[in-house]
Amino acid sequence: MKKQHYIYADNAATTQLAPEALKAMMPFLTEDYGNASGAYSFSRSARKALKESRETIASCIGASPEEIFFTSGGTECDNWVIKGHIPLGRIVTSKIEHHAILNSLGYTAFFSHGAAKLLPVDEKGVVSHSSLEAALSRKTSLVSIMLANNEIGTIEPVKELAYIAHQKGVKFHTDAVQAVGHIPIDINELGVDLLSASAHKFRGPKGIGFLFCRKDTPLNSFMNGGQQEYGLRSGTENIASIVGMATALMNCCENMKETTCKLNKMVSVFKEMIIGAIPEAVFNGDAYHRLPGHISLSIPGITGEGLLHFLDLKGIAVSTGAACNSKSTQISHVLKAIRLPISFAKGTVRITLGMDNKNEDVPIIANSIVDYCTKVKRK
Amino acid sequence: MKINCISCQKKDLDKNTIGINKKLLGDKIVNYYCMDCLADFLEVSKEDLLDKIEQFKAEGCKLFS
Repeated sequence: MKKQHYIYADNAATTQLAPEALKAMMPFLTEDYGNASGAYSFSRSARKALKESRETIASCIGASPEEIFFTSGGTECDNWVIKGHIPLGRIVTSKIEHHAILNSLGYTAFFSHGAAKLLPVDEKGVVSHSSLEAALSRKTSLVSIMLANNEIGTIEPVKELAYIAHQKGVKFHTDAVQAVGHIPIDINELGVDLLSASAHKFRGPKGIGFLFCRKDTPLNSFMNGGQQEYGLRSGTENIASIVGMATALMNCCENMKETTCKLNKMVSVFKEMIIGAIPEAVFNGDAYHRLPGHISLSIPGITGEGLLHFLDLKGIAVSTGAACNSKSTQISHVLKAIRLPISFAKGTVRITLGMDNKNEDVPIIANSIVDYCTKVKRK
Repeated sequence: MKINCISCQKKDLDKNTIGINKKLLGDKIVNYYCMDCLADFLEVSKEDLLDKIEQFKAEGCKLFS
């Protein structure tokens, strides 16, 4: 299915590599291939790039360079935190976390002899202060609440939640994979102890990410081997990808205000067009505290999967919150957690616009959705 | 049960044709189009629909054979 013009509107899944990032990576994929751990002068440029990239990333989130640990991406960061925090104990997290968190909890439960506590969310997907306060006990070793949800775009009140955890002497981790590079982040203002990030969500390369770990936060090593990453995450550094990640993040942070303004306008136009034509449609997540460019749309009477494939046939990429097989429709754990009625959950699609989208993409996407709904409902 | 196209009355639609109708129009539908009429109805090419069927088969969807 080759399309001359394809509208990519699934930027929460992954993003296009920034040209600036690719340019910065190229020398390290070609002539500057030295191992940063090498003792000879040939490795000097790799070592320098590693140091500067760590400093750049640290400056983008208000951290110190020695608090930044390079990983293979968000999933590794989340696994590392859940399985490597000290002392390993009971974890409090939420029902709408990414599976990189939720599917790692069994490991911790096994070794600490206690199941994790999954906090509920309200209909906007927000974790309440009171539910966290009630869940904390002397056995709690870590709280992990995502900064922004990938499916519905809601930004969690992480600053307040981290404060509550700290009052009880518990460390706080946030999975910020969807947020880094898209909303302003200052780890000191947020007050978190650990933060996960993934480069390909902010126009960096795939297979690289970073974990912020505050100086006073103990963490076991996750990958054993050499002394890379202060001995906590062994393995020869992926210099090209690290440089690409740092360049992409700097670029996103420098353009954040302008991008957010552009995306907010695009989302506003999209919502007006959809509500004007399909009044029964609803937009999920918090209306105000949400990721820029993120739209979770539910339309009763259709299937999100049907709409996704129809849009794909029209040259538009979005994703869905429910996938079906021949016997049943699997509703996502996030849509279940916000208690979205099943007719709406089945008809949910996620449209995530990014800085590469053009204003003219919006009416094309909206009109295609309206066209599909008209056809299906008329039938 | 033998199913005919709701539009052109083409007889005995096969499993893949019924499957692509369900995938694109919803699993609760009771009327089905043949491939040509479905392509016309959705204003897409028949070739693209056939590509979609191959995609679903590769994914292991049991609506297709």
